[in-house]
Amino acid sequence: MKGNLEHFSPTQILNLVSLSKKSGTLDVNRKGRKAALSFKDGKLIFVSMEDADGSLTSVLSKAGRITREQADVLAKHAEKHGDKQLGLLMIQKGYITRNDIVQAIKRHALASVNEFANWNSGDFIFDQARQIGDDRIIVPLDLENIIIQIARAQKRDEQLEEEIPSLDVCLKFADKSKINIKELQLSKEEWSVIRYVKPENTIRMIAKSLNLSDRDIRRVVGSLREAGLVELMQVRQREKLSVEEKQEKKALVGRLIARIQNI
Amino acid sequence: METQNVKMVVTGPFSAGKTAFVQSISEIEVVSTERRISSEAEQIKEATTVAMDFGRITIDDDLVLYLFGTPGQRRFDFMWEILAQGMLGFVVLVDSSKPETFREAKSILETFRAYAPTPYVVSANKQDLPDAWDLDDLRIALRLDESVKLLPCVATDKESVKKVLLELLYAILEEMEEKE
Ligand SMILES: Nc1nc2c(ncn2[C@@H]2O[C@H](COP(=O)(O)OP(=O)(O)OP(=O)(O)O)[C@@H](O)[C@H]2O)c(=O)[nH]1
Ligand SMILES: [Mg+2]
Repeated sequence: MKGNLEHFSPTQILNLVSLSKKSGTLDVNRKGRKAALSFKDGKLIFVSMEDADGSLTSVLSKAGRITREQADVLAKHAEKHGDKQLGLLMIQKGYITRNDIVQAIKRHALASVNEFANWNSGDFIFDQARQIGDDRIIVPLDLENIIIQIARAQKRDEQLEEEIPSLDVCLKFADKSKINIKELQLSKEEWSVIRYVKPENTIRMIAKSLNLSDRDIRRVVGSLREAGLVELMQVRQREKLSVEEKQEKKALVGRLIARIQNI
Repeated sequence: METQNVKMVVTGPFSAGKTAFVQSISEIEVVSTERRISSEAEQIKEATTVAMDFGRITIDDDLVLYLFGTPGQRRFDFMWEILAQGMLGFVVLVDSSKPETFREAKSILETFRAYAPTPYVVSANKQDLPDAWDLDDLRIALRLDESVKLLPCVATDKESVKKVLLELLYAILEEMEEKE
């Protein structure tokens, strides 16, 4: 099975795999960006997405469970003995629990598949014969739930596009936000956006400085607005009226007022 | 001298009362491009506006004010930008008794603000209904800044509509003062 995501969307593929309980690996290439998703009996068992290759060390370092240096050392070990063996070793030494590993892998898989769901182009091949190596730690995930989650996220993104139709507006702190910003539990991205909230910065400019996509900046701004922290502020392209034009407009509005008062 | 035309836009979610609002104050029978509602889901009233409502108030010999009511349903929103061009200001009507439409009202407000940086007022319509929300609660629900005028309204009542339009005109004057 092969094609392009332009014609067959990520959600459609996931649905198909889930319904027909397929096993195999889906490889996607989107202009050099690569994703690989492996399935067993219609369940997602492994995802590698660009640099997040899905290996135990990369997943744990992404989750902040181990440092980069530790990850480098452990990756060498895993190269020889495999992820499963490394996982067991870490559990035995008391570095981490089994549940920590499962949760970290799950989170990685969900984040990656959510990212993949937004790809709107790219060649894909589904190879039923290709299975992932025995040495990998497998956490099977139900696709039905994932598809529902994706649909939810996409719905939310659509709503955000309606709420924030233009990125060429500025942000300001809500007047009434008596909230102590320092005490808030914000994500890293939310903090970085907060730092750019100034009357002269448009959302588009902030996104560019932080290298965020339109969708991602909308999500961040959306949640900051939801929390009542920031508001959108129109960049008023002030009509430059001459003194006479202004007098004229005032007189016109005055006539409208007088007439409507007397209807 | 040629007659000068100016326009104001009345917008808001589906069934907020836009057609009623324009109808109450227009000197002509509102030229409405309504059509009967087909889908079951929206079968709460007989007709919905598909292109725009079109009302007129003659100010004097050489000035006419047109009031345009937008279609409330998003599938007709290609009309919005066209209607927004050159408007003096706009009114966002909200059905105060339908909290499920507040989010949409806010979104429409943002959309119109992005089209044109003109003054606007928000009007809490259907205040005569028993379960209409209070203005204070509505302001919080719609997350309106204190500087935004939020006015009670009963769109079927001419006096009430007059008040809203006058407040919008005052807001236009105030904005010109601010700029000085
Ligand atoms: N009680 C009450 N009913 C109102 C008021 N304003 C409008 N209505 C009623 O609410 C219903 C919807 O009003 P419309 O004027 O058709 O609403 P609309 O915003 O033009 O609707 P669309 O064009 O479909 O988006 C009608 O049955 C009106 O009679 C009001 O202030 N109070
Ligand atoms: Mg209507």
